[in-house]
Amino acid sequence: MQRLPKIVRIFAVVSFTAVVVLFAALIVNSFQNSGKPLTSLAPEGPSAESIQRLVIPVTAIAGIVFVLVIGAIVFITWKFRERPDSDPDEFPSQIHGKTTLEIGWTILPALILAGIAVGTVMTIINLNREEPNSIKVQVAGQQWWWEYKYDLNGDGNFDGPEDITTATELVIPAGKPVQVTTTSNDVIHSFWIPGLNGKKDAVPGLYHPLKLQADEPGVFRGQCTEFCGLSHANMRMLVRAVPSGDYDAWVRNQLKDHAADPTNPVAAEGKKVWLSLCAQCHVIKGINDAKMKETPPPLVAGVAPDLTHFMTRGTFAGSIFNLYEPVSSDGQPLPMSDVAAAGDPGAVLTGGAVNSATVNRVTLEAWLRNAPALKPMYPQGGRGMPNLNLTEEQIDQLVAFLETLN
Amino acid sequence: MALTEDRPLALPSGDSNDGYTPTGVFTRPTAETGPRSWFTTVDHKKIGIMYGTAAIFFFIVGGVEALLIRMQLWSPRGTLLSANLYNQIYTMHGTTMVFLVVMPIGAAFANYLIPLQIGARDVAFPRINAFSFWAFLAGGVFLNSSWFLGGGADGGWFMYAPNSGVIFSPTNGIDFWNLGLLITGIASLTGAVNLIVTVLNMRAPGMTLMRMPIFTWMALVSQFLLLFAIPVLTSAQVLLMLDRLFDANFFNVAKGANPLLWQHLFWIFGHPEVYLMILPAFGLVSEILPTFARKPIFGYPFIVFSGIAIGFMGWGVWAHHMFVSGIGPISVTAFSLTTMFIAVPTGVKILNWTATMWGGKLNFSAPMLFSIGLVTMFTIGGLSGVMHSVAPMDTQQTDTYFIVAHFHYVLFGGAFFGFMGAFYFYWPKAFGYMLNESIGKANFWLMLLGFNLTFAPMHVLGLQGMSRRIYTYDAGYGFEFWNKVATIGAFTLASSIALFIFNIFYSKSKAKTLPPVGPDPWDSRTIEWMTPSPTPVYNFDPIPTVTRVDDFWYRKYGETKDGKLVRIASTAEVAQKRTDGKGIHLPSPSYWPIVLAFGLPIVAYGLIFSLWLALIGGIVVVAALYGWIMEPPDDPDAVHDDHGPEAHASDGGDAAVPDSADAVKEVETVG
Repeated sequence: MQRLPKIVRIFAVVSFTAVVVLFAALIVNSFQNSGKPLTSLAPEGPSAESIQRLVIPVTAIAGIVFVLVIGAIVFITWKFRERPDSDPDEFPSQIHGKTTLEIGWTILPALILAGIAVGTVMTIINLNREEPNSIKVQVAGQQWWWEYKYDLNGDGNFDGPEDITTATELVIPAGKPVQVTTTSNDVIHSFWIPGLNGKKDAVPGLYHPLKLQADEPGVFRGQCTEFCGLSHANMRMLVRAVPSGDYDAWVRNQLKDHAADPTNPVAAEGKKVWLSLCAQCHVIKGINDAKMKETPPPLVAGVAPDLTHFMTRGTFAGSIFNLYEPVSSDGQPLPMSDVAAAGDPGAVLTGGAVNSATVNRVTLEAWLRNAPALKPMYPQGGRGMPNLNLTEEQIDQLVAFLETLN
Repeated sequence: MALTEDRPLALPSGDSNDGYTPTGVFTRPTAETGPRSWFTTVDHKKIGIMYGTAAIFFFIVGGVEALLIRMQLWSPRGTLLSANLYNQIYTMHGTTMVFLVVMPIGAAFANYLIPLQIGARDVAFPRINAFSFWAFLAGGVFLNSSWFLGGGADGGWFMYAPNSGVIFSPTNGIDFWNLGLLITGIASLTGAVNLIVTVLNMRAPGMTLMRMPIFTWMALVSQFLLLFAIPVLTSAQVLLMLDRLFDANFFNVAKGANPLLWQHLFWIFGHPEVYLMILPAFGLVSEILPTFARKPIFGYPFIVFSGIAIGFMGWGVWAHHMFVSGIGPISVTAFSLTTMFIAVPTGVKILNWTATMWGGKLNFSAPMLFSIGLVTMFTIGGLSGVMHSVAPMDTQQTDTYFIVAHFHYVLFGGAFFGFMGAFYFYWPKAFGYMLNESIGKANFWLMLLGFNLTFAPMHVLGLQGMSRRIYTYDAGYGFEFWNKVATIGAFTLASSIALFIFNIFYSKSKAKTLPPVGPDPWDSRTIEWMTPSPTPVYNFDPIPTVTRVDDFWYRKYGETKDGKLVRIASTAEVAQKRTDGKGIHLPSPSYWPIVLAFGLPIVAYGLIFSLWLALIGGIVVVAALYGWIMEPPDDPDAVHDDHGPEAHASDGGDAAVPDSADAVKEVETVG
């Protein structure tokens, strides 16, 4: 047997060690889920928890099989390696197979899998059982944002006068079950809030059920997970679970409209700009409801988020930008990258007045200045917001108007 | 062959051929060396080498795309690629690696090895074989020409409707994807028919199905998968083509279409596709492991039947790609269970390979290292596969980087490691020189390191929420560190490929100073190693008679009753000598396969840009078919039906040890 150059032997040892260290680091890291708002390994609602109860044993079994198989292979390659001093005419015993062994290692994995199958089927049943008295929300994906319609009076219709339509952020009461129906107005998207449940595709023309429930109040982030074209990466969602009382106050505020003209003269100018440009696609209840009533919705977007209560949301532009400067508990601004803390509308959520000082004006103005530069879109195809070539004055007026939309 | 002959189909060799005049306009090409011989060849070995070369070229293209993806994802809000370009690049990366790399490398080995392993002189339909290769190349070049004609496809390799419609993807990228894969689909389908017929009809005397080398078995199963899977994709693609180019409404939701139709069709193709990509590699390691363990494959029938079982069960698991598509809890449950249990035959293979090594005398040559790499890395991919089969878990994992990790462990850690092992293993057989072993071992360890650095972190990235197919991610989600590791890994992996390519040229230059490689440099087991290296054009002279599995091994060695092995003949005695090949009739080269194949992309360009061009392409195709049918054999003297082994003297399997107990006794006395 030919000896290898020393450098190759050293490299083999280094490489093997590096892979072992890498695997160990990855296993340790998979337990470190704080500061990872999209992790699927830290469930915060009953559905996600029931999935996690499956993840742990199945991963453990897979881990044991992995250790046994890889361990066996490493052991065998060590024990049965050809020794440099071995007799080249000496051959190992020529075994062609052993049927009992074959039957054994066919049946054993099948039995392990049968055990996993039982847990799987029970979890599938559990995840598909509809909760009584759940809040009904229809979630519609479009390029590249989400629309939420609440059937508040339970009549099965999501567009009645007592129902509400909002966008970008889904507000739910903590501890209460929410029955989501996913659908789409253009291509296939997928609605995924990893902290609360697995994902469900939003398919145009079809309506798919998904249960959501948050144990505690909090912000749960999500990301569209079915490739949906140009800005798929920029299609996020956010579930804001609030205490029941806050949720009721939020609903009462959402039912209001914005028919009255703003008192601030700059904002009043902004409303004129809004009516002449933005109202072609966006809706504000009380101002251009007719736009909202266009049915059926066109299957190429051409519609834009309902802005009636724009300022009650913490994020905008498909939940990729914060509408409010993140503020720490002592009132200091936080870095924008701190996604978990950012984008809190505070009291505006339930209808409080907007404090202009907390609004993330820089990004909002930049968006109005040239939206496609911040988020790739196809405005020429009716998919996404165009560059409206607004003047700086118009932008200031529009921001002032938007700030009245609490 | 040519159907114009109005003479008896079987003239005895040497008879005059009165009244025979070639009716074809062209005579057959005759070049046996030089570039021309490659364009007109119908030799399965040359075609196999061309498949491999083209696949390595496309592998570099797809690899550069992969590196661009990894560079873009190096840090949050990467600016190297625009969203639009990223979507094209990841689509083309997936498409290229599946259709233009893994499938054709499988085809390369199948083409090169099947006739050699079954003791045939060529495949059943040599011109169709050449056509398959040229059509694959034409489709691949056509597909990639989209980069210069308005941009690549941007819908993902899965091309889900309705995002693949004209409204959502108005450029021609998806048309190039669609028509290009229709052309490679024709290549795959004709290739599959050809190889199936070859295996079923052209085996050497004595080679029953259960004496076939395992690679031939696995390649046969994967050709059956191709035969039935490709038409499903083709149907879906024709619908998409009609939608995009002729305003049909198969996937138009506004007209009442259900876009899940595409997903079902795509994955009914797509999942058997996965198995047909991995099975050839399974076959290759099943050749390599016993050779370097110095003992037979453990449980030959179980490996064969588990491969067949995978081939059947692979048809019943497609909807596990659709657990979150909204197919309903009953379907989810059913496909969840079928997917779980397909792990059983796969596990049987892993355990049989492990048992093959047990008790052996393991020589860690480069092919062996890559094969052990396959067994271990595929185990990881298989186990994460079982995790997805648990549908509720999959709802968290699907469309995240966890899946990206999974299928790269299956297709790179599985299929490609197997291919690498087979490149090192069969290189001397195909080219007559060995690849440098030390570089080969360094190549393995560098690839193992780079591969794991690239793809292992993606498991954790996916579980911690990173979606697939995103051109960017934001800071604050905890994705930064492992993305950097993966990018470093990708460049490490690329350097291992560079080392492999370096090794090819380095070893070739060194080979001149080394003694020529004999027929059997690894002390191998199956009959392809009886032929001189590089294999002569006629493969075998004479055709061997096969008496058992690992026939060549048992020409060299005999087994005593208690399983002890004794040498009964030297390799030089039992291997074949290079002869002048006189009197062996081989299929004649032909111009028409390449003409026919390159007529197809002209039709495809025409469908996109101008129907007049399509008409010209159609004329080329019809003319090529006419020429193909009418061309005469260059050797009118040739006996028409002498491709079969009975036409030439067979060696009668003299050196082989018959199965009877008496013979074993004889061997004992010899030993």
